[in-house]
Amino acid sequence: MLIRNIRYACRRYSQAVTFRTAESSPAEHNSNHVGLFYTINKDLCKQLYGHGGLPKSYMKQSKTFAETVIMVRQPALDIIACMKASDLEKPVTKYVLYGEEGTGRSMTIAHLLHYAFEEGYLIIHVPWVSDWLRRVQRHKEMSNSLTREGMVDVPLDAAAWLLHFKTQNQHLLKSPELKISKEYVWSKREKTEAGAPLSELIELGISRVKYACDVVDAIVHEVKHLSNTGKFKTFVAVDGYNGFFNSLTRLKTPTKKKVAPEEVTLTTSILELTKGDWKNGVIVLSADMIANPDEQNKQIFPMNLLYRKGFNHLDPFVPVKVDRYSEREFITCANYYRDRLWLRGPPEIEAELKLTSAFNPYKFMEQCAPL
Amino acid sequence: MSLFMKRNKPGVVFNTQILWRLNSTVAENKDEEEFRVLDILKKKDSRQKRIVRRAEVAPDRAEKMPTDQNWGNVWPGPRSFHPSSVPLPIRQGYVPKGQVPPGKKANAELMKIPNFLHLTPPVIKRQCEAIRKFCTEWPKLLNSEEAIDKHYPVEIITSDYCHASPTIRNPMARVVTLRIKLANLDLDKHAKDKFLRLVGDRYDEKTDLVTLTADRCPLRKQNLDYVNYLLTAAYHEAWTVEEWEKEKMEDDMEYYVWDNNQSKRNLIDWYHRVSGTEQVLSDEEYRNYDISSIPHAKEYKEAVSNLFNEGESEETIEKYGGTVRKLLGLPERTV
Repeated sequence: MLIRNIRYACRRYSQAVTFRTAESSPAEHNSNHVGLFYTINKDLCKQLYGHGGLPKSYMKQSKTFAETVIMVRQPALDIIACMKASDLEKPVTKYVLYGEEGTGRSMTIAHLLHYAFEEGYLIIHVPWVSDWLRRVQRHKEMSNSLTREGMVDVPLDAAAWLLHFKTQNQHLLKSPELKISKEYVWSKREKTEAGAPLSELIELGISRVKYACDVVDAIVHEVKHLSNTGKFKTFVAVDGYNGFFNSLTRLKTPTKKKVAPEEVTLTTSILELTKGDWKNGVIVLSADMIANPDEQNKQIFPMNLLYRKGFNHLDPFVPVKVDRYSEREFITCANYYRDRLWLRGPPEIEAELKLTSAFNPYKFMEQCAPL
Repeated sequence: MSLFMKRNKPGVVFNTQILWRLNSTVAENKDEEEFRVLDILKKKDSRQKRIVRRAEVAPDRAEKMPTDQNWGNVWPGPRSFHPSSVPLPIRQGYVPKGQVPPGKKANAELMKIPNFLHLTPPVIKRQCEAIRKFCTEWPKLLNSEEAIDKHYPVEIITSDYCHASPTIRNPMARVVTLRIKLANLDLDKHAKDKFLRLVGDRYDEKTDLVTLTADRCPLRKQNLDYVNYLLTAAYHEAWTVEEWEKEKMEDDMEYYVWDNNQSKRNLIDWYHRVSGTEQVLSDEEYRNYDISSIPHAKEYKEAVSNLFNEGESEETIEKYGGTVRKLLGLPERTV
């Protein structure tokens, strides 16, 4: 037993130097750490990605490995460097991640979320836009908006998101500075006074699901206002952002009318947030081919995915390409899989996997699963 | 007889013949020495052989031709190949393995293909000499292609057909093609755009040529008039501005004009926010705003225009990203 443990420890130690970094603070990551994995604290992981944020298959794998690790990669470092260098007094800077399927845009966002969390940003994170607009369960809760004529609410999704927002920012929401600037009247009896803490608004949205969408809208306005006044800085991350610019969603009103994305209240809120008319914030978006499946020409470029509409809305933004693994990243990843006893067999297997996966991180992960 | 056959062995037929001959009573007065034999069983060697008479074949004309003959007289006009008239060792056709191609005689392959044996250089030279007296002198000032293009921008292309048949008319001769360089037409931005939309695919972007072809009228003269009419009509139509053309939206534009687009507004708004002088501008003010006061705005304008006009690619996106970083004061992308 002892020998086994020693052997195990030896093995871990011998390989740990090659693929792992002990530096678990994203702010300290630099180009020396490129391709290395760092481990995220379990509680933090639950707080940040508990309600979405990591891809499902990656979640599953982390569960198997009994730890959540993220590889430090160039795009994330690039954006972190830009965030450090940028002046927050200037209007918000927008970054658009693009790249092939499975190259790790969502993982880059996850990495940046961790960075933003450490730096004390207020996080507004939409895990996957198409969850709101395209995923339709048998009974998708939908209603016509009470406050805005001709718009559609998706209250359950909004409430779920509020919960996500609350968990991600629980430490910040405790601070007394987060106060509401104006009074919100929800109905004859229910209203939120000006000066009430922001968390009250969120609680209301979660408990009174009917108003969830309006609460989201209110939060967006409040956050913009608070950031403008310099109370705190805000980090906005939206994955699959181009889903907002599709011609139609999968939602249908009770009269079977198909709903366009701009007719959904949540869309208007998030689009309001990604305008460039506020400061003290950073916006990271990702353009994803999966988010507009109707698109015929399969191109990964952001303008093609955002359409003219989205480009006009975002411009000027910084396009950041997330590429496939480099040789080095591939080797560290393979080493990590070997360490986890996920990948076994002769060393030649790596050369083969290199070819079959074509350095695509997602494909590599999938192909290693049965090995 | 049957008794006789029994007594004699089969095969001794000769004796029977002789016997029979002895008994014959026919008188033979022509040939005293030898009797003619009536050959009843027709023995092979006695049959007369037919002599095949062959006609005398004259040697090939091609072999008799003198080497200094006038070839133009031998082969004066277009004609399908004839082996005896051509004193050349020509071979053509499928080559079986290890053999040579079939020779010129009785060779359908050679007859199928068109030949130019009537258009040898000396013949052409002779014919040109013959028609020289009908030509006028080439204008001295039109000494180069550029000069010709300059003085005669409109190019008319027609074809004349000459062949030996009962009629000298060819229906293809009526087709008239007019070509002109677009640069030679006096067009402004709007007129050029409209002209191009009117001519459609008759304009070739690579060569800058507009090609109009007419074959609808029965005579060349009529077609020529029609082509000229087409060019004139299209040109003048291009210059007129109709009432409905004001309704042209940004999406109808054939190329991306940055000054008219949202991108410029975004940049100006951003700049105003950065400099802390926010103001509300009208559409006209946005369009005419001078961007030279904004650092890196020129590059940005170029990058966005490129992105739209050349299409999205790795380079244009990278250039756009680079200029945006410069504009926003962010560090360069590290590779």
